[in-house]
Amino acid sequence: MPSSPQDTGQVSNRVRIVVATSVMLTFISFWRAAAIILNDLGSSAFYAGGIAEQAVGKSAPWFVLAVMLFSFGVRAVYVESCSMFVRGGVYRVVKEALGGTLAKLSVSALMFDYVLTGPISGVSAGQYIAGLINETFLFADAHGWIPRAVHVIFHGTPQVSENWTAVVFALLVTLYYWWQNTKGIEESSEKALRIMQITTVMVVLLLAWSGITLLQTGFHLPPLPTLSNLHFSTEALGFWKDSRIAYHFAILAIIIGFGHSVLAMSGEESLAQVYRELAHPKLKNLKRTAIVIGVYSFVFTGIVSLLAVMLVPDAVRIPVYKDNLIAGLAMSMVGPLVLRLAFRAFVVVVGFLILSGAVNTAIVGSNGVLNRVSEDGVLADWFRHPHRKYGTTHRIINLVVGLQIFTILVSKGDVYVLGEAYAFGVIWSFVFKSVSMLVLRFKYKGERTWKVPPNLKIGKTEIPIGLASVAMVLVATAVVNLFTKSVATVSGIVFSLGLFTIFTVSERVNRRKHAQFQQQMKEQFQLLQSDTVERAGLGIRPGNVLVTVRDYNTLSHLKWVLEHTDTKEQDIVVMTARVSQFGSAAYGLSTEQVFSDYEQQLFTRAVSVAESFGKRVSLLVVPARDVWSAIVQTAINLESSAVVSGLSSKMTSQEQAFQLGRTWEETSEPKRQFVLQVVHPDGQVDTFRIGPHTPTMKPEDIHLVHRLWLNITREQGLENLHHHDILTEALTRFAHDYAGRDQKEILHDLRRVSRASPSAPALDSSAGTQAVRSLPADEDEPISSNKDEGPSSSPIVGP
Amino acid sequence: MNWLVRFGIYTLEALFVVGWSGTAIVLLLTGIEDVETLVEKDEPPQA
Repeated sequence: MPSSPQDTGQVSNRVRIVVATSVMLTFISFWRAAAIILNDLGSSAFYAGGIAEQAVGKSAPWFVLAVMLFSFGVRAVYVESCSMFVRGGVYRVVKEALGGTLAKLSVSALMFDYVLTGPISGVSAGQYIAGLINETFLFADAHGWIPRAVHVIFHGTPQVSENWTAVVFALLVTLYYWWQNTKGIEESSEKALRIMQITTVMVVLLLAWSGITLLQTGFHLPPLPTLSNLHFSTEALGFWKDSRIAYHFAILAIIIGFGHSVLAMSGEESLAQVYRELAHPKLKNLKRTAIVIGVYSFVFTGIVSLLAVMLVPDAVRIPVYKDNLIAGLAMSMVGPLVLRLAFRAFVVVVGFLILSGAVNTAIVGSNGVLNRVSEDGVLADWFRHPHRKYGTTHRIINLVVGLQIFTILVSKGDVYVLGEAYAFGVIWSFVFKSVSMLVLRFKYKGERTWKVPPNLKIGKTEIPIGLASVAMVLVATAVVNLFTKSVATVSGIVFSLGLFTIFTVSERVNRRKHAQFQQQMKEQFQLLQSDTVERAGLGIRPGNVLVTVRDYNTLSHLKWVLEHTDTKEQDIVVMTARVSQFGSAAYGLSTEQVFSDYEQQLFTRAVSVAESFGKRVSLLVVPARDVWSAIVQTAINLESSAVVSGLSSKMTSQEQAFQLGRTWEETSEPKRQFVLQVVHPDGQVDTFRIGPHTPTMKPEDIHLVHRLWLNITREQGLENLHHHDILTEALTRFAHDYAGRDQKEILHDLRRVSRASPSAPALDSSAGTQAVRSLPADEDEPISSNKDEGPSSSPIVGP
Repeated sequence: MNWLVRFGIYTLEALFVVGWSGTAIVLLLTGIEDVETLVEKDEPPQA
């Protein structure tokens, strides 16, 4: 039930708004969750090994393997944080443990990580593509397939500049995802799962082929990471490049090597972000997700890096394949060149898919994090302004993509420089996280269903040995990185302090603005906070009309509902969804975060429209990760008979209905059917039934059933047969035939029928026509009705 | 080399070595638990 901390008494002239504070989510299996995380975490396999070897020499795979092993410990810290807070991301945990200032600093480091994920992934994918193009040219030239004229133009075999090709490719991919995110693409766990399935095929082939190659050619393990085997490059020593310090301390040298490989475990933060969306049993599924990503990334990133050093000859590994090590591995297998080239092309395709996905994850993740801090008043509301056409937080997306494009251009396609800088964000966000978790062991007294083992109990005090150990390794590595990664230290500190300053100034400005906003709110609205959306909280009856609103300039569909609804008989609920993506779903939301000044403007306008009709409306704000599931869940929870929306600017009414219908199908039981009405700006209304319902029958079909019924009831013992018994028998036989050998014939007939059917009326309907559709199932025959009929007045009864 | 730098490096090395020793125990214990998690079957959700 909703509760209002300060407003228990009703104030007659204020409008009541229920603000749901739980994000409406569709839950996913641990396999899907693992796929989402691996799209980020697994992508580092394409560049981590090459970067580590350039920094520390041939012993690099041991460090990458150590990092992948250590990542199991980091993951355990994340599992503990999620067992304490359902939204256990860095910001929440650090804020709880160390306060707002350090939380802002930790988010700045995390943002540095996210902003760099895009450029490094895009540039790395570009390097793989450019490498393949050059190799293909060499192959073609060796076979005499390149014309002489081309030879003359290029002064030899045509070759593209790998770095600049990578820059162009990274820019194109970033711009592509900038536009997709501006339009508001849906995060799809299905897509992530498919990418990981294809990646798994590549990994299995890679391991099997490498195994065969090793058996045929023999193998030597990379040199062990001892002081004499470590050969740090000048860049790898950063501020210590003029000193011999790294060669005087054996363990320090190992920490330096470990620090240069730490980017192999970037992407762990996604674990906290997807936790909220994991299906029951949550904690167990989180552990399973952690196991899957742990084992997968250990094999993919760790073992593949090891194999690369074992199989790719020293002469070409760094000089030729440093930025596309897996491609080098593919080319170093035993077998015909054509086959190896084909496999390399497959590696490039997989790299393109997973690395491009990581570019998107970077934009989505940073958008989510900035949205979250913006909701907390740390970033000016200006950033959260929804896009006029698409409703997305376009200003945040522009800021993030702008920074990424700047980074790509400055890097000039150098994966090593990007990787070095990237590690700064990765390690410092982990440091903040683990130290905060350590502090919370003594500070936080709430529920904690799982703890990182071992824990030693002395009297009443529990010493978190495991947690402290992980934190110690991270702190030591992060401090050493500050000295050895000069580019990362300078750029990371400048970026983090810059963002921290913006956060601090914005927070001060917002605090003043917030006080004024609160005053206006108190005069106009009564906010009731509720964890879930319930009918009782809004004080409405079943069979109500749910009106979705987003843009205060387009409320014509609300006017249509108000015009056609008798509010004495049927309640109207005006709902808006505050869309949050993966990132922000991981954090707790307060009423003020969900109900910003934009929602206030929107509802002020909606209320004034309702007042102009002299009718009462209930107002509702729901945070959601996916707007369609928010609408479906709200309609089900409120027992609405109709959902009324305006025509979307980016899709047709059929597409809107299809999306809603598909979401309805994916929603778990109990659920109920409802009607969707899409009101066009010119007053035309398209009506669709959502969920299963009685199909509309053609008159000739009704006659056929009736004729059959007349004939059959003449038979002895069948006098009491009903029309529906004939339909049941016919459908049962149809299902039997369809499942059997007649399927092809049936489909052939149905295609013929489908072609012969008249076109869907909603597509060419004139004003005043309503098309009733069943979605996402096949379309029924339309029921024409007058546009003045208004929203559906009674609940649709299921079959 | 200045004693402060030396002290700082020894501290970092000690943190790293002690941290890794503890992490090894974490990996061992969580590894055992992970096997149990994978073997264990889900209870049906409460109605």
